[in-house]
Amino acid sequence: MLLRRVAGALIILLPILWALRRALPGDSDVVNAGGVPLIGDLLAKALSPRLDGEFLRVVLEATGTTLAFAALGTAGALVIGLLGGLVLSDVAWSRRPPLPVRLVRGLLRGVLVAIRSVHELVWALLLVSVLGLDPLVAVIAIALPFGAQTAQVFGDTFDALPTRALRSLRDAGAPAVPAVVFALLPPAGPLMLSYSFYRFECAVRSTVLLGAVGVGGLGQELVVSLSSRNWDEVWTLIAAVIVLSALVDAWSGRLRTDMAVASCAEWSAGGTTSVPRRSHSRWARWSAVAVVPGLVVAWIASGVSLSGLTSERTRMLTVGLLEDLVPPALPSAGWQVVTGGVLDTLAMAVLAMSIAVLITVVVSPWAVAARRSGGPPAPLGARAVRWVVWAIARVVLLVLRSVPPTVWAVIALLALFPGVLPGALALGIYTGGVLGRLVAESWESVSPAPRDALVRTGVPGALATVAAVVPASAQQLVTYTLYRFEICVRETAVVGIVGAAGLGRLLADNLNFFRFPVVTTLLLASFAVSVAVELISRRLRHAIRA
Amino acid sequence: MTQTPSGEVVVRLQGVGRRFGATPALAGVDLTIRQGERVAVLGPSGAGKSTLLALLNGSLEPSEGSLEILGSAPAGLSTRERRALQRRVGTISQGLDLVEQVRVLHNVNAGRLAEWGTPRALASLAWPRPDRRALDALTAVGLEWAVHERTERLSGGERQRVAIARLLIQRPELVLADEPVASLDPTRASEVLALLGQAVRRGTGLDADPDAGPVARPDGALVVTLHQPLLARQHCTRAIGLREGRLIFDAVVDDLPPAALDDLYARA
Ligand SMILES: Nc1ncnc2c1ncn2[C@@H]1O[C@H](COP(=O)(O)OP(=O)(O)OP(=O)(O)O)[C@@H](O)[C@H]1O
Ligand SMILES: [Mg+2]
Repeated sequence: MLLRRVAGALIILLPILWALRRALPGDSDVVNAGGVPLIGDLLAKALSPRLDGEFLRVVLEATGTTLAFAALGTAGALVIGLLGGLVLSDVAWSRRPPLPVRLVRGLLRGVLVAIRSVHELVWALLLVSVLGLDPLVAVIAIALPFGAQTAQVFGDTFDALPTRALRSLRDAGAPAVPAVVFALLPPAGPLMLSYSFYRFECAVRSTVLLGAVGVGGLGQELVVSLSSRNWDEVWTLIAAVIVLSALVDAWSGRLRTDMAVASCAEWSAGGTTSVPRRSHSRWARWSAVAVVPGLVVAWIASGVSLSGLTSERTRMLTVGLLEDLVPPALPSAGWQVVTGGVLDTLAMAVLAMSIAVLITVVVSPWAVAARRSGGPPAPLGARAVRWVVWAIARVVLLVLRSVPPTVWAVIALLALFPGVLPGALALGIYTGGVLGRLVAESWESVSPAPRDALVRTGVPGALATVAAVVPASAQQLVTYTLYRFEICVRETAVVGIVGAAGLGRLLADNLNFFRFPVVTTLLLASFAVSVAVELISRRLRHAIRA
Repeated sequence: MTQTPSGEVVVRLQGVGRRFGATPALAGVDLTIRQGERVAVLGPSGAGKSTLLALLNGSLEPSEGSLEILGSAPAGLSTRERRALQRRVGTISQGLDLVEQVRVLHNVNAGRLAEWGTPRALASLAWPRPDRRALDALTAVGLEWAVHERTERLSGGERQRVAIARLLIQRPELVLADEPVASLDPTRASEVLALLGQAVRRGTGLDADPDAGPVARPDGALVVTLHQPLLARQHCTRAIGLREGRLIFDAVVDDLPPAALDDLYARA
């Protein structure tokens, strides 16, 4: 028991110490003294954001573009996810599928894993070199990795359904497609819708990120204003991003609670066990009615057209790109560059995760909605204070996760020299916002019953909480941390691209100089790292659950 | 004593066996069932009753022996031919195989998916319209009021009857029921078995529908697994006993000697 604890502590501590050493090399400066005043300027402008009509119109338009890209990207992801999910799921095949189908399925599984191991921002970079700055880039860059993820989740959702209805239809001779539609979609429907809205929430955030490659929307405006150091504009844009993010969160959160008792936390960890609710609220109905016209408007307004996909130029560029990408080659400075990038990526992820956990531990306990416990109701004043604290904690988490990590990175890079540290800081702050919210949401579902039982036997409230709620909460924190760590490794690409460090930085640099064979090597390295981390983390998660 | 049935052969098994891995679930079964017969399959748990029914509906293939369902041997059929055959066989279990989240009408129409084909089936899911046949099927089970109810709102017994309506609308020539009354009270159980008997009786109710033609088809056959010999005696014409995968007896229900039942359920 003790041995296990010590081993557990070492597993956590050693990587952090190693990452710290890598982030703070003794021989070079970390803080860029020349940049510190810039941070001062930035902060000083917080009180006077640019609010004139002309700029507000730009912001509004950019917001519309972001929403449209996110909606179209999500729609694309859902199509991929639905088809992929049906192919991947075991139930949709009435009996053991024939060998060719099984081979194709295995292949598809691999391809989907590969697709989602590449971050959407990297997808956007690659697509830009083929399609140019076409709005389509944003849509496809979202649709591909999100679709791959959705296929996985939908496949699992289908497989978790009872199979008897489908089997009995098939045994009565029903053809495959209507049988699947009749028997699988109605029970899976609410969960799938709920997941779709969760994906949309994520897509809004990702679209803002994609601004970094210049495909339009709030993200691009942010990058432009940041790089021209128009701090007053930066604040307006950040406010817009936060408000948009908050509205979408609230709307989608509302829908999700209405339709199925699935929280974000459950979805982000890859699935839910909750039973869909029976009645659909007015919210759900109106949203469903709004979806199709919304998509049409988004399509028209954003000027996305598929013609870019089929044009001769795209075809040539794609063929050219594919030819350039193979065979992979090592950077001219040798393989140490690649291993260095891998280690930087891992160090950055480890540090970012530590920062995120720190933020979560400090903020999340306050962000858990107060629940009625067994005792008499608390006095009004105490409840009001509790509510204010809750609201502040929620807003803090919202701000941390709404401001894209690219922006945090650019700010960090003002005061710090490029390297692991600014990347880790930026990613850590952002991930802290995400993790904090997930954990707070999951803590809300920890049963208060054991605690109340203790309180009723006379144990003081705080002590009862520690004894009854902390163990369950700690386990959830660990599970989500591991899960988020997998994503964090992938997201290091994001802060890398704006200049921090790691594989993302190498990728962006080599893409800039059209060294495509090296890009292939780096993509393969990212893929390997991301799969390795996923396997290890899955193993650990199982070990913890056992 | 009833006379020996003389209708056409519906299923014929000769030396049929089925093994899962090394263990035989069914071995050396010879059995012929003709039109108009209602056959109860009795036997202790694990005797191979469900396996027999799965063979009879073509979703499982025998490991040995020859099996013929409604005139064709499922072993040699293409997927399309197998579906066409399965369309003529109706299967029902404890009613747990309904889609809970949709209206009753959808679950009834599900019995017609094979007949409809893909486009019409999808259209009916999007725009459900209760037609004569669907209403007749629901009326036959006393649920005409529930056409537009969500299936999960119905009671267990009502759901069971929805499953029967789905069976009725399929107009199967062979009905297979695996423990359809296992969780029902005695009155309900009798009702369900009577309805199943009616499902294979032709020339009445549902079958007298315009597109069935003026000449009524002959009766179909019913095979039902049961755990209550008494119900078998009331509702079936013939009873067979399975034990450890072997056919122990096969008799007209009225001739069933009590000793045979004691034997069937005795501990080894
Ligand atoms: N798919 C399968 N794979 C492996 N073994 C199976 C399978 N289906 C049935 N068996 C085995 O075959 C034997 C007969 O099973 P079957 O389900 O036919 O029994 P049963 O008479 O229907 O029992 P019950 O009254 O409990 O439903 C059992 O020993 C069972 O374990
Ligand atoms: Mg059985």
